[in-house]
Amino acid sequence: MPTRSPARLVVALGVAAVLAVFLLYTAVAGNSTPTLTPSQLTGHAGKLAVVGVVVAPVRGDSHSAGGLRFGLKNIDGKSGIVPVVYHGDSPPPLFTVGRSVVVSGSYAHGRMTGNNILTKCPSKYTATAPKA
Amino acid sequence: MADLGRAALVLSLGLSVYALVAGVTSALTNRRRLASSARNALYCSFATTLIAAVVLAVALVRHDFTFSYVAAHTNRTLPTAYALSAFWGGQEGSLLLWLLVLTGYGALSVALNRKLLRDLTAWVVPVFGGIASFFAFVLVAVATPFGTQTAPLDGAGLTASLQNPYMVAHPPMLYLGYVGLSVPFAFAAGAMLSGNTDERWLVATRRWTLAAWAFLGFGQLLGAHWAYVEVGWGGYYAWDPVENAALMPWLAATAFLHSVMIQERKGMLKVWNMVLVALAFELSVFGTFLTRSGVVNSIHSFAKSSIGSWFLVFVVISSLFSLCLIMFRLPLLKARTKLESALSREAAFLYNNLLLVALCLTVLWGVLFPILTQLVKGETRTMGRPYYDFFLRIFGLPLLLLMGIGPLIAWRKTSVRALLRTLAWPIAVTVVCGLVLLAVGAGSSKPGIIAYTFSAFVLASIVLELVRGTRATGSLFLLVSRNRRRYGGYVVHAAIVLLAIGIAGSSAYGRSKEVRLVPGQSTTLSGYTLTLRNVTVTPTPQAIETRAIFSVRGRWNGTLSSGDNQYFFPPEPSREVGIKTSWLRAEDLYVIADDVNPKTKVVYAQVLVKPLINLIWVAGFVFLLGAGVALWPDAREQRRLVTRLAPARA
Amino acid sequence: MTIVLGTLLAAVAVLLVALPFLREPVAGDDRLDRPGEEEERRLGLVEQRDQALAALKELEFDHRTAKIGDDDYRELVGPLRQAVARALRAIEGDQPRIPQE
Repeated sequence: MPTRSPARLVVALGVAAVLAVFLLYTAVAGNSTPTLTPSQLTGHAGKLAVVGVVVAPVRGDSHSAGGLRFGLKNIDGKSGIVPVVYHGDSPPPLFTVGRSVVVSGSYAHGRMTGNNILTKCPSKYTATAPKA
Repeated sequence: MADLGRAALVLSLGLSVYALVAGVTSALTNRRRLASSARNALYCSFATTLIAAVVLAVALVRHDFTFSYVAAHTNRTLPTAYALSAFWGGQEGSLLLWLLVLTGYGALSVALNRKLLRDLTAWVVPVFGGIASFFAFVLVAVATPFGTQTAPLDGAGLTASLQNPYMVAHPPMLYLGYVGLSVPFAFAAGAMLSGNTDERWLVATRRWTLAAWAFLGFGQLLGAHWAYVEVGWGGYYAWDPVENAALMPWLAATAFLHSVMIQERKGMLKVWNMVLVALAFELSVFGTFLTRSGVVNSIHSFAKSSIGSWFLVFVVISSLFSLCLIMFRLPLLKARTKLESALSREAAFLYNNLLLVALCLTVLWGVLFPILTQLVKGETRTMGRPYYDFFLRIFGLPLLLLMGIGPLIAWRKTSVRALLRTLAWPIAVTVVCGLVLLAVGAGSSKPGIIAYTFSAFVLASIVLELVRGTRATGSLFLLVSRNRRRYGGYVVHAAIVLLAIGIAGSSAYGRSKEVRLVPGQSTTLSGYTLTLRNVTVTPTPQAIETRAIFSVRGRWNGTLSSGDNQYFFPPEPSREVGIKTSWLRAEDLYVIADDVNPKTKVVYAQVLVKPLINLIWVAGFVFLLGAGVALWPDAREQRRLVTRLAPARA
Repeated sequence: MTIVLGTLLAAVAVLLVALPFLREPVAGDDRLDRPGEEEERRLGLVEQRDQALAALKELEFDHRTAKIGDDDYRELVGPLRQAVARALRAIEGDQPRIPQE
């Protein structure tokens, strides 16, 4: 009797194993974080990340009890300002008013309490606009 | 001059379109002169693209600010090397680099193979023509590097963090890799279109694929090293979408490079290879789409750009083309032999394929997750580091093990007993290694100790293979020179092992501490005592440099400084970390003074000790060495190929 | 100056693209130089021979480096040598493509 090739069985079992691991991980650990803009925060609470532009005034110190305080609004400008209190390491050197940032932490009662700030490297890939 | 560049690009577009249309027509209607004409058009498109590139390069070096691109990315004080590197520092220039490398690779690979693979190259030319047409179109109609303006007094300058030797080399390396994957893709498509799906196209593109894969791998390591020394967060890879954009095609290409060996020897896995080469190519273009479109949040770019839509359309069309072609040619992709046993080298390659593709698709899922959740739920959700770390262990550790088993397992079939007998020495070394590691306290991290013991297993199996092979042939040099691909591959495996040890050591066994210090105060971590001595502010022509100066005692005695530079032009800050590398102790002492107050002299700093991290950088050189051995031309192999494929004389 | 250079560039490109037609305005045989049936068959036989030889070489090497035992070697070497011999005979006689086992 000719021996059947185990290749198909191996591939099928392999794919099934990968999917099983995936489903198990997603069910148990999850680990995805909502990443929202300031205008999307209404109705949300808990652990999330906010993407926006830093708005003045920037006051305080991230290492102090009061934290570093600033505002965030939508990158397109079409939103209100969400107050942020950030505690932790000093923000990255590129952090400044007008810079786009991602603040991770928790959101409650209209205020974002952040524990991590990401600023972007200056984008290489915006179009070069010819100047007049 | 800008007009010349624009004209050259328009010509390049016209020639690429001609190569596509004439190439398809000649292949379908079997017309020799038209096929030759299409091939000449491909060669000429490289020449005209080169002219456009030279125009831009000259403008950059001469600081010709009538070019908007030059004004946007350089200034008068920028050194020539960095001015030239601004070629790929922006959107338009990097696209021109892509087109230049693509037409160059295309012209050369077709020229070298036109006599040996006459039937195939008739179809390869229009495939290259099609890809080049897209990039040339984008450069002509969407993102031209030859926009002009009234010259300002000075340009905007190059971002300080990009003025770094690693950032000069990193993008061209990546591009040589990304674009290089077009060559096996074009030949694979040519093979399917011509109906010649045997091993000829694989043999012809073997070195091209290996070179592209090596460039892509080394380019990623250069980027990681830049992130480590320049960005200064203490890490080297953040699973950022733009970083993943380079990793995904590299994983697919790794699977392809292994899998083709099975097709060459056994005529198996033909469908796998077509799918893998298409996946590697599509992911390389998809990666460019991710980087430029701004559809996913990345520390590299937030700006949404219209160019993304064009790339998305291209990826969709080329993916559908590849899929339809593979489905259409399925009858020609039947395996010549069958897998006889689940315990054989053929099966090991199949498991290798499965694991690498699984890892690749896992990363892809993580990258696409925010886009999918936005589409489905109206809310963007992002996968964090724990997701990637988890699957890297789940798929990466078995891959590591397979690297040790694969080379020692026999072809066709073997028994469990025979395999265990072959692996006896590596297993013994692994057990001893594991016990020693447990004794020295490495058991504090389970993934860490598993990675270390698996690495020991792989190294032991490589050494065993070399020892046995040398005994069989009588000379190590003879052994390696007679089978450069195999033994070059083993050297690459050794590089991956070094990488695994470096990653495991620095992440699983690293230590860190955050402190607030004033001058005279100290902190201790892992045998290093750091005392803040002073805070200095030094103006230079380019920047104001603020530094916290630490004296270090204990496992190393010396001085380290860290702080930031406030550049004048462009007006941007950059973090400057202090790194002390000890090769003897195989660790780095890494200091990030992220808040230095020159008035109060208060310094907030992070101190990190990173064991074995430098093995990651050493792995890069070993990787290149292995790729070099595998790429080394073999005159006997070339003669065999020519004899086999040269036309029969009447 | 730019217009002159651009025009020259275009002219050279058009010339090179048209060169195959300029060299042979009337071609005796304009068919693509594809391998014919005979040549395809020869190529197939040569590839079979090379693969059979490579498999035999691998087997010998695996045996010498103790990856497979004597029993497995004896079981596998016979059919592989026969495959090589068949391929060599087929090339000599240039017979139709032999079936794989």
